[in-house]
Amino acid sequence: MRQDIFEETYRARWAEFADWLKSLGPRRADQSVATTIDVLDIPARYRELCQQLALARDRQYSAELIDRLGQLVLAGHQALYGARSRSTDQLMQFFRGGFPRSVRREIRFVLVAALLFFGPLLLLTAIIPSYPDFAYIILPAEALDGVQEMYGSAAQQLGRKRQADSDVAMFGFYIFNNVRIGFQTFASGLLFGIGALFYLVYNGLFIGAVTGHLVHAGLARNFFSFTAGHSAFELCAICLSGAAGLKLGYALIAPGRRTRGAALRIAAKESVPLVVGLSTMLLIAAGIEAFWSPRTFVPPTAKYAVGAAMWILLLTYFAFGGRTRGA
Amino acid sequence: MLDTAREIPTPEGIELTLRLAGPVVRALAWLLDLFARLGFLIVLSIPIRLLGELGVGLSLILYFAMEWLYPALFEVYAKGATPGKKAFGLAVLHSDGTPVQMPAALIRNLLRAVDFLPLIYGFGLVSMLLSRDFQRIGDIAAGTVVVYRDNAVRHGLIPNAVPAVPPLPLTAAEQRVLLDLAARVPQLTEERAHELAGLVPYLTGNRSDAGALARLLGIANHLIGRRT
Repeated sequence: MRQDIFEETYRARWAEFADWLKSLGPRRADQSVATTIDVLDIPARYRELCQQLALARDRQYSAELIDRLGQLVLAGHQALYGARSRSTDQLMQFFRGGFPRSVRREIRFVLVAALLFFGPLLLLTAIIPSYPDFAYIILPAEALDGVQEMYGSAAQQLGRKRQADSDVAMFGFYIFNNVRIGFQTFASGLLFGIGALFYLVYNGLFIGAVTGHLVHAGLARNFFSFTAGHSAFELCAICLSGAAGLKLGYALIAPGRRTRGAALRIAAKESVPLVVGLSTMLLIAAGIEAFWSPRTFVPPTAKYAVGAAMWILLLTYFAFGGRTRGA
Repeated sequence: MLDTAREIPTPEGIELTLRLAGPVVRALAWLLDLFARLGFLIVLSIPIRLLGELGVGLSLILYFAMEWLYPALFEVYAKGATPGKKAFGLAVLHSDGTPVQMPAALIRNLLRAVDFLPLIYGFGLVSMLLSRDFQRIGDIAAGTVVVYRDNAVRHGLIPNAVPAVPPLPLTAAEQRVLLDLAARVPQLTEERAHELAGLVPYLTGNRSDAGALARLLGIANHLIGRRT
């Protein structure tokens, strides 16, 4: 068959297919693109188009025709194989079960990250009240003084450097700062895990030094009543971001029977649920930290109770969430 | 052939052609995005200032969103392209040619932080130059590529000439070389165009200089279906 006859034979069908592709795009008010193809026929029409492209290539028709058919096939491929499922449903599913399930699946990385983070944190918290000079090795004196001021008895709003900072401003700051730290910890895991390792230990040491120093200074009550509420969400989220980062690094160090690229692709894909989940946790933590934690009129006992409830809630969620069939 | 075209096999037994985008055009697109974001933040900072403390909080949240979510949201919901990429005719796709979705978009944009090291995309550039498909580290992890959205030769660029039938049948690859040359003639100096046209005497029949070029343009016009 000569090319012009070939084109003449199928031109109308190609135009129909192109119209169908156009009808998928954003619709403008002034022009509605009508498609004449029944949706059920689309896969068959697409295969037909592929066959015609293969024929055109095999028969050495002009590059122009091949390019034109190639574009049409590429657009069809994207429309057929790129179909999306409803994303709101997915999101619900994710928080009902997907997130805790992936935390349990990656429990090895989570436990290692927890050790690297909570280890130094608890160690310093325990040691520094007896050996207070130790805090000055970790942090400069000005920083420790600053922290002490934030939780001093003169503070109207706990945990604020400037007493005038409003809740909303601090909320913005916590999101801007904390979620970024979470993302950075995750991303830096790509450097063979070293970045994630560093951030975990560094944050553990930092928080441990501050806690120990404040306990030594006799401000434990102020400090713990501020941090109790958001501690569960924030500390667990840091831990998870480290776990996700370590997972990336581990895929590069020990890719198993895959190439490093393939191992990295799979590890990255599997760590997405952790990252989405932990950023949500950090958003929640930012909300609590900005609007609940600084309130001085709430008695510390109530704050401890809320904090403990948060820990129990979160750990129960991770341990049992998404185990039932329906979730 | 040394080429940026990638063939992707599909279940239907044919190969799709993607034309990959290199570091320079991607850097330009990134710069444009950077300016767009900065401009947006500056314009918005004026009304936000009026809101006082509430505004400080809002602007920090906005700043966070602009830095981390802007590229991913645009790539998923605006046909694979941030405004900068769109301006340069680029789009992000999965390596199998399908439109990029949220998980991959998140990965490639969160890992930007590593590509950016040690200085303005140092690792990203090295990774792009080393990888077969111009992928930065985030692209490798996410399984994505950046391609030119319109991957065919722009036929409108080929200068008009009297169509001429090629003296012998040309394969698709040969045709494509000829069309690429013809589309680029307006950008070449006259001497260079003549020199290139002189390389294929079996098509131009040993005509010299201007004659050879005109002949090639004629064949190109014939190939894209222009007829007298």
